[in-house]
Amino acid sequence: MDWTALTLSLELAAATLVVLLPLGLLLGRWLAYRRFAGKALVEAAVVLPLVLPPTVLGYYLLVGLGGASPVGRWAQETFGVALTFNFSGLLIASVVFNLPFMVQPIQRAFEAIDPHLIEAAQVSGLGPWAIWWRVELPLAWPGVLSACVLTFVHTLGEFGVVLMMGGNIPGETRTIAIAIYDRVQAFDLEGAHRMALLLFVLSLLAVAASFLATARLARPGRGGT
Amino acid sequence: MSTAVGLQVRVAQERPMRVHAELRCGPGELLALVGRSGAGKTSLLRILAGLLRPSEGHVAVDGQVWCDTQAGIHLPPQQRRVGLMFQHYALMPHLSALDNVALALLHLPRAQRLAQARQWLDRVQLTREQQARRPAALSGGQQQRVALARALARAPRLLLLDEPFSAVDQLLRQELYRTLADVRADLHIPIVLVTHDLQEARHLADTLAVMDGGEVLQQGSPARLYRSPRNARVADLLGVQNRFQGVWLGPCEDQPGVGWLGWLPDDSDADAPVRRLRVPDKGRIPAGQRVSWIIQADGLHLLDAPVAPGDPSVLCAKVAELRYLGDLSLATLTLTEVLGTRLRLTLAGAQRTGLKQGQRLCVRLDPDWVHVMPTRRP
Repeated sequence: MDWTALTLSLELAAATLVVLLPLGLLLGRWLAYRRFAGKALVEAAVVLPLVLPPTVLGYYLLVGLGGASPVGRWAQETFGVALTFNFSGLLIASVVFNLPFMVQPIQRAFEAIDPHLIEAAQVSGLGPWAIWWRVELPLAWPGVLSACVLTFVHTLGEFGVVLMMGGNIPGETRTIAIAIYDRVQAFDLEGAHRMALLLFVLSLLAVAASFLATARLARPGRGGT
Repeated sequence: MSTAVGLQVRVAQERPMRVHAELRCGPGELLALVGRSGAGKTSLLRILAGLLRPSEGHVAVDGQVWCDTQAGIHLPPQQRRVGLMFQHYALMPHLSALDNVALALLHLPRAQRLAQARQWLDRVQLTREQQARRPAALSGGQQQRVALARALARAPRLLLLDEPFSAVDQLLRQELYRTLADVRADLHIPIVLVTHDLQEARHLADTLAVMDGGEVLQQGSPARLYRSPRNARVADLLGVQNRFQGVWLGPCEDQPGVGWLGWLPDDSDADAPVRRLRVPDKGRIPAGQRVSWIIQADGLHLLDAPVAPGDPSVLCAKVAELRYLGDLSLATLTLTEVLGTRLRLTLAGAQRTGLKQGQRLCVRLDPDWVHVMPTRRP
């Protein structure tokens, strides 16, 4: 069992969540409420990582952020960091790749809120922050929760983009999915199996937990005071 | 700040939806906005609540200006102290009934908030156990009472009701009318009710405002509106039963304030009246003008015995249809002399018991109850 790879994967998934959740809330809510020219184009751009082959996405990220690219050069000169073949590179790739997994469920959740509820809150004297905190977020919460779970689990299992952007550097960019591939290449099926099973169980538990939580939230009955 | 009390509204906008209105509603008064769906009733209500900003308008409550487009004033709903009861209640599904009401009291400390919310829910007769439930676990009538409690919790200066009774059955409706009446007695604030149910409007309202095509056509007490609607459209929207065609023949020479109305059969283009009636004349209609005229039930009297022919205010008729409406019966009569014209009579008590379909009878028409309105020829 490659514990370093597992830890790295968990760190990457957590970091992706931290970066992507605020971004997803802002973008998802904005797309849910606003109508503007070119909205379809923005929505298509958000979904694109879902349909592009991971290697294509990884290739463009590698070319676009690599040391020879203007962005890569600027990051190197300004902050002294490289954006490829290290953890920051993985994080950028992971954020881009998970964008649809985070934004789409959140957008759907905000779209499902009855606009009359927001109006009722306004008439009841609630300001924008109170409405956000006491009405919108609790109502959108099942969607936000499943977006987080999807993003987390998906990051754990991501392979193609991570390999393109990070390579296979132990302790730096070798995530659990790459470690499994590595074990299979080395004919260590026993090692591959242990890690694959762990990933399988972890993913299943996370998704089941989110389903359970969503069902619990949706259940009518006594409300907390 | 003026000393005016109650609600004063003036709105003139074309887009996105046409709304033209000039209304007043005093404290403790209930104004019903009636009209078909799409008449602009809800848009006007949303303007009052501050959810919609009119392109041109002025809204003031107790002299405080809530909206004045010329002066660039538009208070958001949060600052208006307005209670709004939505058509489908718009209760927060994730909160208990108690928390739904407490949500309108966020300006208070938590303990006080819950105590006040509880008082309101007690007042609309929700048990403590029901107060702890979420809306989905409450019946329609209970949800409605929670919505009313929430609308009243902030001690509003204006109460708006958007078709609040449309989603519950007749029995529950009566119960809620009573709850509303109880609450109303202590409130002393203007109440505006949007409804398409005329019976409900008559039942609850002190004043009716008839809306059509985004415009308030007429405002007044139900009695005044039914007796003298401004025009044929208002009469139609109010569901006035006995509306007929006619031609204005001019004032009576011998009696000031009275004029001659020529009765034209409904399904005829002929200009020759079949009967001449002496009716009140306000001197506004030129002779020869085509008119619509109505007569209220108060002006129609069923005669027990046949009368001598020749009296122009007595009509002979045959009972074409009898409908039993509980406490009342609705009789449709076909007039013998004015062909193709039907008269509708509401009857109660002994009068209706002897009546049979096909029976011939006479009706006296009291000309004082005739109201004449000019119509444009199509």
